[in-house]
Amino acid sequence: MGLFDKLAGWLGLKKEVNVLCLGLDNSGKTTIINKLKPSNAQTQDIVPTIGFSIEKFKTSSLSFTVFDMSGQGRYRNLWEHYYKEGQAIIFVIDSADKLRMVVAKEELDTLLNHPDIKHRRVPILFFANKMDVRDALSSVKVSQLLCLENIKDKPWHICATDALKGEGLQEGVDWLQDQIKTMRT
Amino acid sequence: MSVGEASTDGGKWLDAHYDPVAGLHTFSSCVALADLSGDGDSRLVLGDLGSAGSGMKLKVYRGTVLTNESSLLDLPAGLVSFFMDLHEPRIPAVAVASGPCIYVYKNLRPYFKFTLPGLEINTLEQDVWRQVREGQIDPSTLKEMLESLRTSDVPLSARSLHLLSLDVEQAEQFVHLHKQQPIRRQTVITCMGTLKKSTADEDGVSCLVIGTESSHVFILDPEAFIILTKMELPAPPTRMDVTGQFDVEFRITVACRNGNIYILRRESDRPKYCIELSSHAVGLVRVGKNVVVGCTDESLQGFTQKGKKLWRTVLPAPITTMAAMDLPTRGFQGVLVGVASCEVLLFRHKNLLSSVRMPDAVSSICFGRYGREDGTLIMTTKGGGLMVKILKRTAAFEDRDGAPGPPQAQSIRLNVPKKTKLYVDQTLRERESAPAMHRAFMMDLSRLRLAAAKAMVKVLECSLTPVSSGVGQPLKINAVVQGLGPAFKLTLNVQNTAACRPVMDLAISFQYDQSLYRVRTPFLRIPLLVPGIIYPLETFVDCTSDKGVSDIIKVFVLHGGRSAPLLTAHINMPVSEGLTLN
Repeated sequence: MGLFDKLAGWLGLKKEVNVLCLGLDNSGKTTIINKLKPSNAQTQDIVPTIGFSIEKFKTSSLSFTVFDMSGQGRYRNLWEHYYKEGQAIIFVIDSADKLRMVVAKEELDTLLNHPDIKHRRVPILFFANKMDVRDALSSVKVSQLLCLENIKDKPWHICATDALKGEGLQEGVDWLQDQIKTMRT
Repeated sequence: MSVGEASTDGGKWLDAHYDPVAGLHTFSSCVALADLSGDGDSRLVLGDLGSAGSGMKLKVYRGTVLTNESSLLDLPAGLVSFFMDLHEPRIPAVAVASGPCIYVYKNLRPYFKFTLPGLEINTLEQDVWRQVREGQIDPSTLKEMLESLRTSDVPLSARSLHLLSLDVEQAEQFVHLHKQQPIRRQTVITCMGTLKKSTADEDGVSCLVIGTESSHVFILDPEAFIILTKMELPAPPTRMDVTGQFDVEFRITVACRNGNIYILRRESDRPKYCIELSSHAVGLVRVGKNVVVGCTDESLQGFTQKGKKLWRTVLPAPITTMAAMDLPTRGFQGVLVGVASCEVLLFRHKNLLSSVRMPDAVSSICFGRYGREDGTLIMTTKGGGLMVKILKRTAAFEDRDGAPGPPQAQSIRLNVPKKTKLYVDQTLRERESAPAMHRAFMMDLSRLRLAAAKAMVKVLECSLTPVSSGVGQPLKINAVVQGLGPAFKLTLNVQNTAACRPVMDLAISFQYDQSLYRVRTPFLRIPLLVPGIIYPLETFVDCTSDKGVSDIIKVFVLHGGRSAPLLTAHINMPVSEGLTLN
């Protein structure tokens, strides 16, 4: 990290990072983003996102701009138009929806094979969400079902989370922050 | 188009779940998808027929797990989910038809039981049972009398029919057990459907439509469960499809056991249209305004809602089940057909779009919203397996043999020159004086015919033909010219075509241009002609000219004592290609 960056850090000017938040509908993308925002900016009721929404939150050293994409089938073709801008990807999975794990895998494979993503070292953070649901799959099982071990050319990390309580989110964001910092230097 | 051409594509479907030992034995009519909890998460509701007449269950799946199970009293004949009231939250009820009853479940708890009204009982049948009750006749006499009733085509009650199937000792016991109860004749439900009451909304209140073994169709009010409409068919219905709204206009398409399809409409209690199929229907699916019928002769046929046949396509194997595939978000409508060769075929109109290979023959198909996924295909197999496939978001179906309509080449513009003034004048003239032109043409045609007839008569009179059909000597002649020239061999084949009379005293002579040809024997005597045998007569012709010209040689068949020839043949001589000898 250069001297200027340190200086900027001291002055409270933080680096801007664009992050894409993807995942199937009802997986908890908006809830996760909502939890990451400062508590006074959080909303109480989460409704299905239409199209996408832009949210901002800050960590110790970075300022995140999150494109919270809608996961509904008819809006999923919007995702690829934002791949270019994304410097990192958050992929949220509903661990309790075993039936649609194949759909999540299909969307992930489409994402990874997209020309805007394929040849870039974009860090991907997976949130195996809804761990509070009784028969939810473990994060290991989710990574197995999504064949995450096949992702060789990008840094990735999977966290078991419960977005309603906010458990596991911080761990994931810390990892993402470290990755972005190492990318810069 | 054969199935072999269509790629068996796993490319369009994602394998979401497969449980080969789910133990589900059901048919498409007993499978439904419904949002039973009102949370946008659709469940799969199945009426399981169990095995060997036991273990009938109503099963509910959520995602990959069985969440609810309750026993059914009888084999389910149909299962539908429908909205029966306007209460919030909008939770549909499930209706299961079995035997003469409909069991309605709300929130997966039994809510209401509707029983069809009993049928009229024959007075004679009633009378004999009364007599046996009063001890006037014994069970064997009862049985005899019932037998005679049955042979005179009287519909008997289930109890009488059961009695007739028993042997003497059992019959006695049976009669003693049952004679005190009054007899009832019940019909059973064969198929069930739903019909929106007054709005076409997705969550509008629906009436139940049921078809019975007594060849009736009933429409039930969803709240009071009273019969709103009763319609009669010529045969018991087996499959049904309902569209429209009860208060506005509706159509009930019913496939019946006599191999016909009847279309019922709102205003009449009798079928409005009838489609006579060449074989029995095994599946009936509505696609838009058309009806697609699968038949036992391994064919799929499309009809309009007025019963006009649109198309027919042949399948590779017998049909096991059929279901509609309706995907309004993508504007796609098709028909899924399960065939005995362990495949599920997808048709749009008559075109095969894709086929899905299955590990086992499919016994039921259901397509719709399951869980949160709109395009989900749920199938159960003969062996009791459950398979769930999800249509890929990117999957696109294209007709491989062109959509109905003109071929591509037809739309290419040809460089046709402009209409000339002459052409326009001519068409105008044709339009104005068409009758005169027609008359002139007909006159000329008559003249032509007359001229042809005259020429024919002349030919026959002068015997200018190579065939004589006269009563005297029916003869036939044909000539063959062999050789390159200048010497030709001329073979005349003469045949007597009479049935049995020989011909005598005939001769042949030639007429030719003597400056060109020389015939070595210009006069030939013909021997006696036995009927039927071909006599070849040979002579040689020398061409005396070296100018390379040819001419006709006329052959006359003459009869002694007559000046006119019997036959005339014209031989077109070939050009002499060799050197002249002289």
